[in-house]
Amino acid sequence: MSDPILSLQHVHKSFGPAHIIRDANLDVLPGERHAVIGPNGAGKSTLFHLCSGQFAPSKGHILLNGREIGGLKPAEVNRRGLARSFQITNIFPGVSVFENLRLAVMRKHNLQFVFWRSAARLRQVNEEVDDLLGKIRLTDRAQTLASQLSYSEQRSLEIGMTLASDPQVILLDEPMAGMSHEETDYTAGLIREITEGRTLLIVEHDMSVVFSLAHRISVLVYGEIIATGTPEDIRGNARVKEAYLGEEAA
Amino acid sequence: MKFAPLLLLATVALLIALPWLVSGSMLNAAVQMLIAALFAMAFGLLCGQAGMLSFGHAAYFGVGAFAAVHAMNAFGGAGLLPTPLLPLVGGATGLISGLVAGYFSTKRTGVYFAMITLALAELLHALASHLKAVFGGEAGVSSFRMPAWGIGFGSLTDVYFLTLVWTLLCIGLLYLFSKTPLGRITLGLRENAHRLRFLGYNTHALGTLIFAISAMFAGIAGALQSMNIEAANYVVLESHISTAVVLNSFIGGVRVFLGPAIGGAVMTFFGYVTSDLTRVWLLYQGIIFVLVMMFLPRGLVGELVERLRHRSGQGVARSLGATLLRLLCLAVAAAGAVFLIEFLQRFLSSEYRAGVSEGNWPAISLFSYDWAPLSVLPWAVGLGLFGLGIALVVTVNRRVADRQEAQA
Repeated sequence: MSDPILSLQHVHKSFGPAHIIRDANLDVLPGERHAVIGPNGAGKSTLFHLCSGQFAPSKGHILLNGREIGGLKPAEVNRRGLARSFQITNIFPGVSVFENLRLAVMRKHNLQFVFWRSAARLRQVNEEVDDLLGKIRLTDRAQTLASQLSYSEQRSLEIGMTLASDPQVILLDEPMAGMSHEETDYTAGLIREITEGRTLLIVEHDMSVVFSLAHRISVLVYGEIIATGTPEDIRGNARVKEAYLGEEAA
Repeated sequence: MKFAPLLLLATVALLIALPWLVSGSMLNAAVQMLIAALFAMAFGLLCGQAGMLSFGHAAYFGVGAFAAVHAMNAFGGAGLLPTPLLPLVGGATGLISGLVAGYFSTKRTGVYFAMITLALAELLHALASHLKAVFGGEAGVSSFRMPAWGIGFGSLTDVYFLTLVWTLLCIGLLYLFSKTPLGRITLGLRENAHRLRFLGYNTHALGTLIFAISAMFAGIAGALQSMNIEAANYVVLESHISTAVVLNSFIGGVRVFLGPAIGGAVMTFFGYVTSDLTRVWLLYQGIIFVLVMMFLPRGLVGELVERLRHRSGQGVARSLGATLLRLLCLAVAAAGAVFLIEFLQRFLSSEYRAGVSEGNWPAISLFSYDWAPLSVLPWAVGLGLFGLGIALVVTVNRRVADRQEAQA
């Protein structure tokens, strides 16, 4: 077994007296699609916020490629190779789809404080944007304002922006939330395609998606990872059934 | 839009020919308009493109103005730089003060950002009256423009061209800036700074830098102003200067590129014309702002751009006709409103009331006619014109709506 690319070791997070994450341990292996499931309020989003730099852990370590990223700022975490999408669509609504992706791609090329070059002439950047547009199947919507996209198109754009920095690890926070069946199937296919050769950590409520997409699944209940394993393991795990799946079956 | 470059070329040509076309006082107004346009463009970069509403831009305008005056007086009046390059001093001072102020104010966003910019500007204004050595106290600091590069800079025409060249250069630079990677990220900052952070950008540094660039152009505008009047007084730091640039930019349209410039120029021209005609010209300015915000929230230029973008292929002539008709009706309403406001202003003025003795209400002279204030006539004229204009606009709107419905 290879070393984990993302590793959470005894991570705690509390907000005042509320302990949201208690002693979470999780190893995500390079190249796998890893899903985190758990009942509402289990702390899945908080876990993502901790990994991506939104919050700093109260205790414990978060390692990316063996280096500590717990407590780093979001921008720094992104530069180390971990990018995330958001549960609530988080794009640049007032500019075009092309511009949204270009903003995401420029950072990778370290174009932040550059005011002596024309953005239209950044060939490498613009080619990558076109490439991304193709991948998320929005090529013919390139010049549309992002705010005018349909919901599932916005979710695709969100994923495209996450992908733009060419990260090793991608965190997708409920990418299918609020989608119809067709849209969910479409997005699942998209995620499969774009995470080829990368590592994916995904939070998702749609169990059919989770079980078909993920190589391994971790179950988070009350801030603790109670089980990690293949979909079959999880399906057969008694504790999981009791804590989570059983609750839904009942 | 193929005609846009042509329009631009024609405008520049007109601006170059202006000294031979208009009177001296009008040329002086044109200098003011150019300065207001540049100042509004500097503000527009920060507010319209980066989404940060500054209520204290007078500070950077004023700092630039004072820096230029002191630079003119440097070396016993010989000047720190040749006269045409003096705005660089204003720009540099604006940039540096913008870096400092921007560092603190961009730590917060929205209302808090606005409050910090306001507080910093007021702080500077309050300090200025005490720092006589720098700001010259009540009298201010005065100076003289020195001849340079074979140009005298004594005449208004010379000053006009100096201002014109700098304004066009700066607006050109701002345009180019909007096309650079940093210029594109500026829009991202306005749209969603949170997302930018998660894409790996340092939003605080970006905000500070854009604030400083905006302050730099404001400083250049301030320098042009003090070079024009050969003096600077701490009045330029007052909050009404900050407010004026906000109002001008929003009237022009803060999100479209030339919107703030047009707003600044138009409102300065409006002030120049009306301040001679009426005492309540500020009231009119306020009414215009309220009306624009209510009915054309994108601003004058913003609305125009939107209309051009969404024009229907066949109905151009028709919609143009309807627009002209509307404007005509609005002019009637405006005439009524102006009549009422002017009449009331005279009626309520202390001079008039001093002349009122028991039972004797002297006639009020307005538009070369004497009106008896207690008769129905003046009130009927004002209210009637206003009501008529509004009724006509409503009718036109209804007709247009009916026609569109019939077409659909």
